[in-house]
Amino acid sequence: MNIILCRRTTWEERVICLCLTMLFFLAGCENKREPLPETTPEQIVFQGTIIAVGDSLTAGYGLAEDEAYPALLENRLRSDGYNYRIINAGISGETSSGTFARMKWILAQRPDIVILETGANDGMRGIQTDLIKENISRSVQILKEHNVSVILAGMRMLTNLGPGYRSAFAEIYPEVAREQDVLLIPFFLEGVAGVPSLNLADTIHPTAEGYKIITESIYPSVLQVIGEIENNRTR
Amino acid sequence: MIHWRFIYRQIISSKKQASVFILCVALSLVTLVSLGSFSRSVRESALRDARELHSADIIISSHYPFSSSLEGAIKKYADENLVTRVRVHEFYSMALDPAGGASLLTNLKVVEKGYPFYGTVELASGRKFSDVMKKSHVIVEQGLLDRLQLTTGSVINIGKGTLTIADIVIREPGRPVSFFSLGPRVFVSAQDLQSLELIGKGSRIHYRYLLKLSDPEALDKVAAQLASAALEGQEHVETFQTAQSGIKKFFENFLFFLNLIGIFTLLLAGIGIQTALTALLRDSEITIAIMKTLGAVSRFITTHFFIMVMVLGTAGTVTGLCISFIIQLLFPALFSGILPAYVTLSISWATVFEGLVLGTVVVALFTFLPLWRIKEVPPAFIFRKEQNPPHRGRSQYLIVLIMLTFFCTLVIWQLEDAATGLYFVLGLTALISITTVLSRLLLGRLKKYSPSSLALRQAVKGLHRPRNATMPVIVTLTASLALLFSVYLIEQNLDATYITSYPPDVPNVYFLDIQQDQEEGFTALAGKETHYYPIIRARITAVNGKPIKRAEELRKKRDNLAREFNLTYRNSLLEDEQIMDGKSLFEDGSEDLSKGTVVPVSVLDTFAELAHIKRGDTILFKVQGIPLMARVMSIRTRTASKARPFFYFVFPEEVLADAPQTIFAATRLNRTELAEMQRRTVTLFPNISIIDVSQSLDVLARIMHKLSAVIQFFTSFSMIAGLLIIISSMIATQFARIREAVYYKVLGARRSFILKVFAYENLITGFICAVLAVAISQIGSWVVCIRIFEIPYNPFPMGTAIMMALTIILIISAGMVSSRAILQQKPAVFLRQQTGE
Repeated sequence: MNIILCRRTTWEERVICLCLTMLFFLAGCENKREPLPETTPEQIVFQGTIIAVGDSLTAGYGLAEDEAYPALLENRLRSDGYNYRIINAGISGETSSGTFARMKWILAQRPDIVILETGANDGMRGIQTDLIKENISRSVQILKEHNVSVILAGMRMLTNLGPGYRSAFAEIYPEVAREQDVLLIPFFLEGVAGVPSLNLADTIHPTAEGYKIITESIYPSVLQVIGEIENNRTR
Repeated sequence: MIHWRFIYRQIISSKKQASVFILCVALSLVTLVSLGSFSRSVRESALRDARELHSADIIISSHYPFSSSLEGAIKKYADENLVTRVRVHEFYSMALDPAGGASLLTNLKVVEKGYPFYGTVELASGRKFSDVMKKSHVIVEQGLLDRLQLTTGSVINIGKGTLTIADIVIREPGRPVSFFSLGPRVFVSAQDLQSLELIGKGSRIHYRYLLKLSDPEALDKVAAQLASAALEGQEHVETFQTAQSGIKKFFENFLFFLNLIGIFTLLLAGIGIQTALTALLRDSEITIAIMKTLGAVSRFITTHFFIMVMVLGTAGTVTGLCISFIIQLLFPALFSGILPAYVTLSISWATVFEGLVLGTVVVALFTFLPLWRIKEVPPAFIFRKEQNPPHRGRSQYLIVLIMLTFFCTLVIWQLEDAATGLYFVLGLTALISITTVLSRLLLGRLKKYSPSSLALRQAVKGLHRPRNATMPVIVTLTASLALLFSVYLIEQNLDATYITSYPPDVPNVYFLDIQQDQEEGFTALAGKETHYYPIIRARITAVNGKPIKRAEELRKKRDNLAREFNLTYRNSLLEDEQIMDGKSLFEDGSEDLSKGTVVPVSVLDTFAELAHIKRGDTILFKVQGIPLMARVMSIRTRTASKARPFFYFVFPEEVLADAPQTIFAATRLNRTELAEMQRRTVTLFPNISIIDVSQSLDVLARIMHKLSAVIQFFTSFSMIAGLLIIISSMIATQFARIREAVYYKVLGARRSFILKVFAYENLITGFICAVLAVAISQIGSWVVCIRIFEIPYNPFPMGTAIMMALTIILIISAGMVSSRAILQQKPAVFLRQQTGE
């Protein structure tokens, strides 16, 4: 995080850096995706564009970008014959407010599908659940208004934040999915959260192995939505 | 046989030089003893601080419950009574005000009885932590009361527990309470941990064991054995010594600088000793010659002068020790606040002994050469008025060599680092050689210079008058002044970096995650001087067309190019920024901009250095999936204020204004404003997180200003040494001036003319010295600041000019004072005395 960044070492700055770093869960990931289609000689014709919108869990904090789920998902789709381009639009440390604020930018890239994974940072900062819900709900609504199919990734909050907050937080996702009528992945980190071997040392960010599990668990939902789109097209 | 009367008379006849000698010896001793005591105290307290900071001898931490092998190992030690243990759980949780319904994220610390082993948790009521920390009670930070509008005695809900607020915490061991935390601190008793029901599946807890050893000597052994029982990569065993403590490093830097000042002072005192003694012996040259003529053997004379030096040295040592004891009384006032109250600031006998040894070495070192020269005084000296240049034999070079070796050892010992010490000595040798060469060049030039004013002409001639030790005086003064100026410049730079960067207007509150559409409303709320920084996240894909290699980047110790970066946009420089390379932020950017393919960017010097980026290079960014090609149009540097936010990459507003961004704000608020602001932000903009660093900054600023006072205190020692040198060298040339003044008077000159000649002469000397010293010290300080302290360098032109002016004024006035006696001299009396000899 280079808001207050200090390579020179005075102790107070280190503390400041460290804390801000933790706060923003900043990522250090180089973008190792395949070159953008415009520049590839073969000129692959994509069947559509999927944007993975989210926070560090989408960006692949602490990993190479091709180890995070969007890249894995793209490969998985390709091996099954689906030529979809997946853009990793994960921003480490982003809250649902940030996600909502950049919807215009997302739409400008003309996605067919958006996988929306946000809210975890809000929860870790103890932000009120009504606000998180409102942000996610409005984001989904905008996407839908522009004929974008949305897959909403559900999230759960840490037990230590307390039962009241935790249950209010967990309700956000099914409620939004119901109200906005979009497909829900009940828990994005299913089978990964809390397993030491599938998470980095910070205990919250998945490892490359963890992302393989995540990819598999969301794959059916993605196929389902792709199927719907193809159906609509042929109709 | 020793002739004490002779020694006594010698001292009395040149009492001015003798007193300068004594003062210089005293000064070197005061410096050594005071500095020694101070360093020792700081070291002790830094060690104690480290223990306090972690409040234990051994700290074991993990993000998961401890493994059975580690638990077993700890239990074994506890059963054998080798260690006492305390468990600490730290995690975030929501606190709910059951009455008002408001909730707040808090930073919980669940502690067992016995916490903390070292240091204290200070409470507002002044009660003992262990007396208040009871079951179903919590101790909270003031911020929680402000935010939830509660008071002590109120009840809050955390997890499934209902807890009563018993007290307010002011300080935790070794630090202010909220050092960058997402929520206020809440202390909970371990007895309540179960009933809160917050630990279980899906919890993120920082588990910690604090251990206190019954035998401190066993620290490393126990730590090593525990480490072998720990799960690698998951459980971390650290001792209070190994745990990364930035404070320790900071104090090391600080002590190193004090030691540096100490060496400078020692060196200056040494130069003072040598000048004083040389002058003293020169006054005695005729006496020596007479003694030799009368049959005194060299050994007799040398022995007597040696004893004289010893007498003076002892006098200086005793004076120095007395002053040291007096200064010790000032220590508490000077150092309170830096050192914890329990650190006893006393002069230890070990330090006194060390000081005595060092003092003797310094005296011996700097008196050796002048004493040796006595041997070279020929009996025929009484007949000659002109002095031949002293004969330089092999023995003399040998002595210089021995002196250098001694000096090297001394410096290395004092700085406790051979390499640095060696560099230091090499630097000094270079300093003296450069000074000699430069002053010789300048004097040579001056010799050819013939101004129209008679007084000025005489002054220039006076510089080259025989027996007027112009060269040695200039070399000595320049070298001393260069050291002095360096001390001043380095001190100012350290001050600017560490101390003035905490001026009263440094932001103490940060607001994160402000959305673009909230900026207007937030500005209305924040009012005052709030700074806004838009943040756009991006990655770097390529530099100059070369793709970033992630694996290589991650291996880099410092920053790497493979992480996400924060970009910002604005069209002007910040107050604390300067352009290092380039005409303006986005110079000529318009041309590229119009093409729409490449945009201009300004890069911070630290990053440019790291990534080997020059002006004109291209960087390919990827802003959330969209490529952005940028050309580096300028390299910026930051002047001082390190406590302010800064950005590696600045773009023109039009390039990034529409990109997804959040805004980061920084402002300064007092306690009441802060509480109000926090409340209103939470209601109006619930998504904005507030980071309050006010407490930490206050503590930091206080410590910094104290440290600055300490540095000034020790710097003043070297200033006094410099002053003594100036006075000594003026006295040294007094005799030659008297003669000159007498001749001028005989030739009919008025007092004012003589005064003018002397003033000019001193002005020229002073000017040469000051200019050379400034040039040398600027270069020297630059090297020290950049290389050793790794801080930005500011030449402080105004301060330097004032120092120069002061030096020149000082030299002239010292010269004037010593000339007063000269002017009163009746020519006839003087001439009679001269021929009488």
